[in-house]
Amino acid sequence: MDNDYFSIDAILAENQKIQCTFKVDIPDMGHLAGGSDRDIKSLTKAPIPIWLAYIILFSDWADFTIPSPFGTRVRNALKAEPRSVKLSNLVGAGGLWYGFGKMVMDILSEEQANGISEVLTKAFKGRLLEVIDQAQHFAALGPAGGGGPSTDTAQSFREGLDGTERELFALAQESAKRMKRWHEGNDKARR
Amino acid sequence: MALPQSLRTSVTPLELELIASEHLVEIVPLITMEKTAFISVRIEGAYGPLRPPAKCRVPLWMATNLKLKKKCHIVPPEWLSVDFLQERLTRETSRPEFSKLPFRFAEIAKVILDVASDDVQNADKIKSLLKDLREARQAKSRDGLQKLDHSELSLPNLCSMEINEIRPFFIQAMGILTQLVREPSAE
Amino acid sequence: MDIDDDDFFTNLDRPGRAANNNTFQERLRQAPRDDDGAEIPDAPPFMLEEEEETPLQQLIRHWMNERHSPDILLNEGELLAGLLDHIRSQSETVQLLRTDPTSSEEEHFRIMLVQTEVERVKFIVRSYLRTRLFKIEKFARYIMTNPEVQQRLSESEVEHARRFARLTDQHFYHSVLQSLPETQQTLDDQPPFVPSMVTEPDKARAVFVLARQDCPPVRLPDGTALDMRKGHISLTPYSVVEQLIARGEVELV
Repeated sequence: MDNDYFSIDAILAENQKIQCTFKVDIPDMGHLAGGSDRDIKSLTKAPIPIWLAYIILFSDWADFTIPSPFGTRVRNALKAEPRSVKLSNLVGAGGLWYGFGKMVMDILSEEQANGISEVLTKAFKGRLLEVIDQAQHFAALGPAGGGGPSTDTAQSFREGLDGTERELFALAQESAKRMKRWHEGNDKARR
Repeated sequence: MALPQSLRTSVTPLELELIASEHLVEIVPLITMEKTAFISVRIEGAYGPLRPPAKCRVPLWMATNLKLKKKCHIVPPEWLSVDFLQERLTRETSRPEFSKLPFRFAEIAKVILDVASDDVQNADKIKSLLKDLREARQAKSRDGLQKLDHSELSLPNLCSMEINEIRPFFIQAMGILTQLVREPSAE
Repeated sequence: MDIDDDDFFTNLDRPGRAANNNTFQERLRQAPRDDDGAEIPDAPPFMLEEEEETPLQQLIRHWMNERHSPDILLNEGELLAGLLDHIRSQSETVQLLRTDPTSSEEEHFRIMLVQTEVERVKFIVRSYLRTRLFKIEKFARYIMTNPEVQQRLSESEVEHARRFARLTDQHFYHSVLQSLPETQQTLDDQPPFVPSMVTEPDKARAVFVLARQDCPPVRLPDGTALDMRKGHISLTPYSVVEQLIARGEVELV
């Protein structure tokens, strides 16, 4: 969730599309809606990438619906058990569910934004410990490990990590490995 | 770039070891050496003189250096003993908070045990106590992660090397929460 | 208590009996002190940090502060100059003794130790400067547009920022911007919904902070206050403790 102008990740994250319903006719912009029409007519629905949606929504040319990755079905599943939801399925491999959510949150009204914020925060906190535990577990196994006590649920959870969580996983794993190297090395020779 | 990627968000265990090696330890020298001026001076610009078998306080890096050339014995700090660590371990496993240890205990203990385990009474027992202590404390760091929010997390008595281990993902996770949480006051 | 080691504990638990203990380690502990050297009080295990900071320890503290802080901190020019002088004079002494054919084996040993320390200090100085250099290059444009930030840099650091900013500007211009319409050639836009084109330090990034003394309360992002007593350790956004770091009341660890 880098917020730097030159961050490639941030630019790619803005390619996520949201469903917009145009309120006004926009001439000569039919290609945005994906059809062969010349103009965008009022009430046309079209998926618009976030980077473009900002200005369209801000200018009040369209409304948008909260994307399904943050819809009621997902919210209920998260409420039941945050760790059982495969976030990666919601935003595609390598996708950023939290980053997408943050962008949606920023264009919503106060009340709705607070709602999404709570969903995102609770999901993140509810999954964080499992992310770190598994990362440390894998670091402890060493290069030869891989199978071992890893269960199906654990594997399924790992597959369901979004890009943000994958990064955390990698950080925790790398750190644990580094500590292990330090503890195990007796570097008398180095001194 | 001026600083490699791996050093931008964290420091390495070896850098922490370097810092910890400035700590003074007692040695029993096996060679004679006149008073010598050093940069890391505390005592009138010099360490020494070394006059066996009188004890002398020198920085850990110097003690290590002398020890590896068999020119001294290192006197382990009081806390690097079975009874002290056993007592701390008992406390660590029976109470919720981190027990108090010297801030750089992990680094200092490792350096001394690496080069001077023959100067440490019950070195193997101490190593296993340190490992148990580490694991008991790691479990507490994990509890800390559960309490993490976007604002503040108090971690009294957490030690240098322990902080370094959890740093990358604690900082990253707090950063994410900062983005996700909406503060009414921020509006 | 571990039953296997019962005897050992009894011995250690009663300091009075320790003198009778003949293990080598005990003799180590009992060895006489050198009367010749300056008087050094016995430091209890936790008092190590209490002694007054030497210049080198100060540099180590600033080095770690710089490494952990997202922003660039005040340049410690005077401290650095003093240590560099010290490094120079130690190196000169080493050179002098090295070339002296009459120096004894003991002398060689001292030379080796002094040389070792010089290398250690040089490592820290270099790492400190490189950390600053990294930030100067990353935030070159930000530094050049903020006189307040420039005050934290040495003259040569500001000069480096200026040249680096110019270099990247020219590179962007020649490789991309010159072929764009004039209105889109700037590098300091602040368009809506997009991060600023000028990279700034992320002061919201969290740091591990250790209180060096009792600190005045600071306001946390959630609106509550944090009152840090000496020795307290917290993880909190950099912006919360920025002033405390600048005043040396806390350090980053």
